Amino acid sequence: MIKISGVSKWYGSFQVLTECSTEVAKGEVVVVCGPSGSGKSTLIKCVNGLEPFQAGDITVDGISVGDPKTDLPKLRARIGMVFQNFELFPHMTVTQNLTLAQIKVLGRSRDEALAKGLALLDRVGLKAHADKFPGNLSGGQQQRVAIARALCMDPIAMLFDEPTSALDPEMINEVLDVMVQLAQEGMTMMVVTHEMGFARRVADRVIFMDAGRIVEDALKEEFFGTPRSERAQLFLSKILGH
Amino acid sequence: MFANFDFDVIERSWRYLFFTGMAFTLRLTLFAMAGGIVFGTLLAMMRLSSIKPLAWIAGTYVNTLRSVPLVLVIFWFYFLVPYIGAWVLRSDTPIQVGAFASSLLTFVMFEACYYCEIMRAGIQSIPRGQVSAGYALGLTYWQSMALVVLPQAFRNMLPVLLTQTIVLFQDVSLVYVLSITDFVGAASKVAERDGRLVEMYSFVAVIYFAACFALSQLVRRLQARIAVVR
Repeated sequence: MIKISGVSKWYGSFQVLTECSTEVAKGEVVVVCGPSGSGKSTLIKCVNGLEPFQAGDITVDGISVGDPKTDLPKLRARIGMVFQNFELFPHMTVTQNLTLAQIKVLGRSRDEALAKGLALLDRVGLKAHADKFPGNLSGGQQQRVAIARALCMDPIAMLFDEPTSALDPEMINEVLDVMVQLAQEGMTMMVVTHEMGFARRVADRVIFMDAGRIVEDALKEEFFGTPRSERAQLFLSKILGH
Repeated sequence: MFANFDFDVIERSWRYLFFTGMAFTLRLTLFAMAGGIVFGTLLAMMRLSSIKPLAWIAGTYVNTLRSVPLVLVIFWFYFLVPYIGAWVLRSDTPIQVGAFASSLLTFVMFEACYYCEIMRAGIQSIPRGQVSAGYALGLTYWQSMALVVLPQAFRNMLPVLLTQTIVLFQDVSLVYVLSITDFVGAASKVAERDGRLVEMYSFVAVIYFAACFALSQLVRRLQARIAVVR
C-alpha cells in the first residue's frame, strides 16, 4: 500500500532523512518510534507529500508521491492524516470541519456529507458536540473529531503524526481507544507515537528511527523481545523503565 | 473669536457639502477599500509565495509605492493614466479617464500596499499546520487559502483593516488637488465663494473628527468582541 524506497531529505546542508526504506502492506499497522529529532514526523509527512524529499521515492497505492506529474491533492484526499496539534479549523463548527473536504474535494452533496460526518462523529462518541466550535472542546475531543474528519474521506490508509503528544494524560486513552478500534477493523495505519502500550496492542511492525535513519524495522514481537540495535535497546529501556 | 462666526453659511451649504461632497468621499473610500483589500491580499499571497520572482515583484511594488508621497501618486496617475491607457489600447489619442475612475485606481493601487502588509501579517499569524491540514484533506492551494487561511486571517486582522480604512477615509481628501468635489473640495469651494474660510474648514474638521472618532470607537468594541470569541 505504502512503499518508501531510499528516501533522503535535506534542509539546506543538514540531512534529516538518510536512505529510508520500508513498506506498509494493506491492513497493516506500523508504529514509528524514536527519540525526538530522529526524523519520524518528517518521514510520515513525506508519505502524503506535505514535506518534499530530494532523493528516493514513495508510492501510495502504486502512485508516486515525488513525481511532479502526480495530482497531489487528489492523492492526499485518499490518505487520512491526523496531526499532533489536531489542526481542526477553528472558524468552523465541528460539522463544518467534517463536511468541508467531502463537499469541496469529493463533490458530495451537503446532505450526503452531513450524514457521513454525523455517523463518524457518533462513532468517536461526540454526536452531542456537532454544532460546537473546536475551541469549546477538550484536546482529546478535538483529536477524535480530527480522526473523524479524516475518516469522512473514506481513506485507503491513515497517517498519525504523534496524535497523543499534545494531550493531557487523562485524555490520551480516549484517543487511543478510537485508534485501536480502527486498527482492529483492518485500517492500514502508519503511526508515529511514543505510546508503546498502543504499539504492543495493535501494531504489526515497529520501526525505530534515529538521526534520520531507520535503525530497526521489525515485527512487534521481535522489537519488544530482542531489539537488534543497541540504540533501540537503550530507547526501549528508557521509555519502558517507568 | 467666534463673535463674527457665520453659522449661516453652514446652514446654507450643508446639503451640497454632504450630498455632493461627502457622498463622493464615502463612495471613493468604500470602493478603494474593497479594491485595496482584494488587490492587497493578492499582493500578500505573492510576497509569501515560495516562487521567488512573484515574491520579488510584489515586494518591490509595495516598497516603491510606500516610499512615494500619496499626493505625488495621485498627480502622476491623473496625468499618466490617459497615456498608459492609450498605449495599452494602442490608441493614438490619450483615453478619457474621469476624475473618479482615476482617483479610484490610484487609491486601490496605493492602499493595496498597506492592506498587503496587514494581510501578510494576518496570513503569517495562522499556524502552518492549518495549511497542512487543508492539504492533507485534498484541498488545493487556492482552496486552502480561500476556505482555511484567509477567513481566519481576515478575522484576526479586522480591527487593523478597519483602522487602515479610517486612514484611507482621511487620505481621500487629497483628491482636492485634482479639483474634485469631495467633502473637503466642496467645502473649499463654498468657503472661497462666500469668503468664509474659517467657518467652512472648522466645520469640515469637526465632521472628520466626529466620523473618525466614532469609527475608531467601533473598532475598539469590535476588537474586544473578537478577543472573547477567540
